[in-house]
Amino acid sequence: MLEIIRIHNELLGTYGDNGNAEVLKFRAGLREIKARVIDVSYLDPLPRGGDIYLLGGAEDAAQLLSLTALRKGSILARAANKGAVVLAVCAGFQIVGTTYRTRDQEFEGLGLLDVTTAPGDGRLVGDIAIKSPFFAEPMTGFENHSSVTTLGEGVPPFGTVIAGNGNGVAGLDGAMSNNVFGTYLHGPVLARNPEFADLMLERALGEAISSVDDELADQYAKWRRAVIK
Amino acid sequence: MSKLRLRLAIFVAKLVSFLSRLIGNQGETLPGRILLAIEPEAISLLAQNKEVILVSGTNGKTSTTKAVATIVSQLGQVATSGSGSNLSWGAANALMSSAPYAVLEIDELHLPAIIAQTDPTVVLLLNLTRDQLHRMHEVKRVADRWHVECTEAANTVFVADIDDPYLNYAIANATNVVRVSFGGRHHPDGAVCPRCGEYLTWVDGDYSCSCGLTNKSSELKFEGGSAAYRNALLANIVGEIVGAEPVEFESSQLERRVTKVIVGKNVHFRLTKNPASWTEALQSDLSEDVILVLNARQVDGIDTSWLWDLSFAALKGHHVVVCGERALDMAYRIHVEGIESRVVDSFDQALSLSRGPEISVLTAYTAFFELAM
Repeated sequence: MLEIIRIHNELLGTYGDNGNAEVLKFRAGLREIKARVIDVSYLDPLPRGGDIYLLGGAEDAAQLLSLTALRKGSILARAANKGAVVLAVCAGFQIVGTTYRTRDQEFEGLGLLDVTTAPGDGRLVGDIAIKSPFFAEPMTGFENHSSVTTLGEGVPPFGTVIAGNGNGVAGLDGAMSNNVFGTYLHGPVLARNPEFADLMLERALGEAISSVDDELADQYAKWRRAVIK
Repeated sequence: MSKLRLRLAIFVAKLVSFLSRLIGNQGETLPGRILLAIEPEAISLLAQNKEVILVSGTNGKTSTTKAVATIVSQLGQVATSGSGSNLSWGAANALMSSAPYAVLEIDELHLPAIIAQTDPTVVLLLNLTRDQLHRMHEVKRVADRWHVECTEAANTVFVADIDDPYLNYAIANATNVVRVSFGGRHHPDGAVCPRCGEYLTWVDGDYSCSCGLTNKSSELKFEGGSAAYRNALLANIVGEIVGAEPVEFESSQLERRVTKVIVGKNVHFRLTKNPASWTEALQSDLSEDVILVLNARQVDGIDTSWLWDLSFAALKGHHVVVCGERALDMAYRIHVEGIESRVVDSFDQALSLSRGPEISVLTAYTAFFELAM
């Protein structure tokens, strides 16, 4: 049973990223891979044995609460070290970085990715397309954030920006390390880019998975790619 | 001098309004824009001789504004804004009327400025939930702006549904408030206290925070009910403050619903524009045939991610057809929830696929205006 841990959805669910869990479960189901989504609230301890951990976008106060709760016991960092898959979007991406700064304070992040985040000059809002090394076709999504993220030396981005802003620095979006993926793509990103959902499933299972024929998913992804260039 | 300029501005704006109606435009935006271009202070100048009532919130603004206007019209002539014309030029246009009362629907982001300009008698705050985040960015950001202006406006009575923690925070330091609670309604974006940033404690749909913010501190407490019921009650509370007798409304009058007969079928349109209004609509009775229309223009919200913030399970077992500019976003969203649909290019095609005599149409903002008005 594949365990998909949706972290603090009441805090990190402002921009529809909760849908990433639904898509993972759905695409696992198409292959008859058993999967379940476990919602972990701010008040619950984070389970240790999850296969995939998901963090989404949030407003400022919610982001800070979530970070404070996740610091306890460093469970997420340990799970990631053991190879668990982590997808961290927007505020979630900032939380799993080394540090993030607001206008008046600096916070130590969870340190899963060597990236630092600071306030930018203006809000970055709109459709975004990136080219990730994993996929032949571009990925698409929607970004809505005001901070910019700088990668540590040698840290690979998740993708290079084709349209939109991403990290807001150097034409890059996101970052990655082993099975930890950070990105600014909402949409939700796995709904817009089913091949990314499949990559996460493969990483979580540690083996290749069969291809599936979900015409609507492909049609949707293709259409978004055609629109955002 | 400024009086003369105001008169000139009104003259030109009315002339334009007249001409644009001659050529068949509904035009409330253009005259208002002209008025403000010639006399930037027009709103505050025109509001001086009126009792102004403002209505704002994420959902229910237009229908509740109509209800308040109906109630207040017992007292005298009422100037009011047309459907959804809720930015500053819409307000300016409505205020050109000589009526002693003005009841205006105001966009959430424009509300602070309009309060400052009109010094209103009453402001009714309905709710704040996620909507058009490409423009609002964050619900809290809107609440912060309201909080500042509500604190400033010492002459105004604020009527607010404080089951919404954002509203309770917005009016927390206001001079004159009527806090209304129906209780038992969990706010979909209410995990964090908007006042202090702590995790809110919710028990049975009521909240409290260590900083003291709670919906148990209401002046008026009522039984729960639908959004239509609540908004009718809130409208009548506003009416009472200005001295009007209560008016009874059918719930359909307080919902954005329109029924039209098209090719012999009863087509029931309902406005659905964000997770809260969708959730409310999906709880209502739906026909076996359901058409979903999704657009993502500016006023619809250009990001469709929010479709994943609500469950469409209520559509299971219905015959669902999807159309609109973002039909694929919708079709894929419900597909993942196990609901299959037909995607078609036009509303006419969607209608032609319907099986029964009754059709429920749940539609985005821009499409609602095109199809149902």
